[in-house]
Amino acid sequence: MTNRVLALLTLTIALALCVSPIAAHHGSSVYDTKLTTYKGTVTDFQFMNPHSEVWFDVTGADGKVEKWTGEAPSLTTMARLGWTKSIFKPGDQVTFTGNVAKSGTKIMRLRKVVFPNGKEMMIDRGEDYAE
Amino acid sequence: MRNRFPGLTFALLVALAPCPAIFAQTAPPPKAKTQAAATPDLSGVWRRSRTSSDKTRKHTIYELAFTISDDVPPMTPWAEAKYKANLPNLGPRAVSLGESNDPIMQCFPPGVPRAYLIRGEPIEIVQIPGRVLMIYEYDHFIRNIFTDGRSHPADPNPSWMGDSVATWEGDTLVVDTIGFNDKTWLDNDGHPHSEDLHLEERIRRASHDALKIDVTIDDSKAYTKSWTAHWNYELKPGWNLGEMICEDNGTYSDMQQKSEGGK
Repeated sequence: MTNRVLALLTLTIALALCVSPIAAHHGSSVYDTKLTTYKGTVTDFQFMNPHSEVWFDVTGADGKVEKWTGEAPSLTTMARLGWTKSIFKPGDQVTFTGNVAKSGTKIMRLRKVVFPNGKEMMIDRGEDYAE
Repeated sequence: MRNRFPGLTFALLVALAPCPAIFAQTAPPPKAKTQAAATPDLSGVWRRSRTSSDKTRKHTIYELAFTISDDVPPMTPWAEAKYKANLPNLGPRAVSLGESNDPIMQCFPPGVPRAYLIRGEPIEIVQIPGRVLMIYEYDHFIRNIFTDGRSHPADPNPSWMGDSVATWEGDTLVVDTIGFNDKTWLDNDGHPHSEDLHLEERIRRASHDALKIDVTIDDSKAYTKSWTAHWNYELKPGWNLGEMICEDNGTYSDMQQKSEGGK
């Protein structure tokens, strides 16, 4: 639990340092408007309010592993769209599509996921107050 | 064409004249329209409709729930000063988490009408004898809206969520709320209000799946005139209110604030 909290804290520190003082906490302006897709291996998943977080490893062509975070809307919103706390399990091979943070921090706001069984799910950001 | 049988016609009319009275005696009595009418059913889980009125686009929840309406009237100098001093963490006037003095950051109640807006979450209406319960998914607030004919207390204690009494006008629940403290924001942009805030909500079911809530804000200490917002809600038949705990936002904010250097 501590490692996950530290990981989340670290990435929010890195992200926040690059964020202007007037940027909104939940603003979408700190994320790239174009979509990026990664195939990753899930390492952890926190189903919670106000944001759900899934951590995944992306192995590059050179064999280097990058650690990424996919951020989804709140538990209450995603539960209504079919998510449960078991929707991601460590080891799952998932394709994540989203808006990557402009700062270079390895976090993306999820827009679409493709589950190991091939099922696709769009994530409508407008459905949640956090955009 | 000339009536060839005026005498016969006259006789028939005379004979039939009492008939309406006879029919009235034998016809069933008209249905009573007042006390016997069923109370309208507003119950269900409702969420702001994301479809625009002309159906051309879908709004985001954020767009719908940022302010009460697009046309907030001019503020009094008293309110302008408060508005400048209110520092939201969202929208065009946003400051950092550490700098924001939004009372919901400390999980104080959102007040009304902000409870409807605050994170665009659904509401649930439950009707029981003498009361309508307006339940907000946001931090599980419940308003008791008394429909048992009582009036407001003569000198209500200032409260975060106000004192609400309501009557039915045909198919519309007319809710009157006073008795607010001035510690809440009217909306997510930090518009202020005074203890004199007087709200009227007119709530009616336009169709089985559509609820209309018209909110009139009257606060002459803060706004130069009263105004009405028109909100469309849609029924969410499969939904129950989820558990949304304000302090969970606080945990997340604390982490972000620490990362901003504890400002």
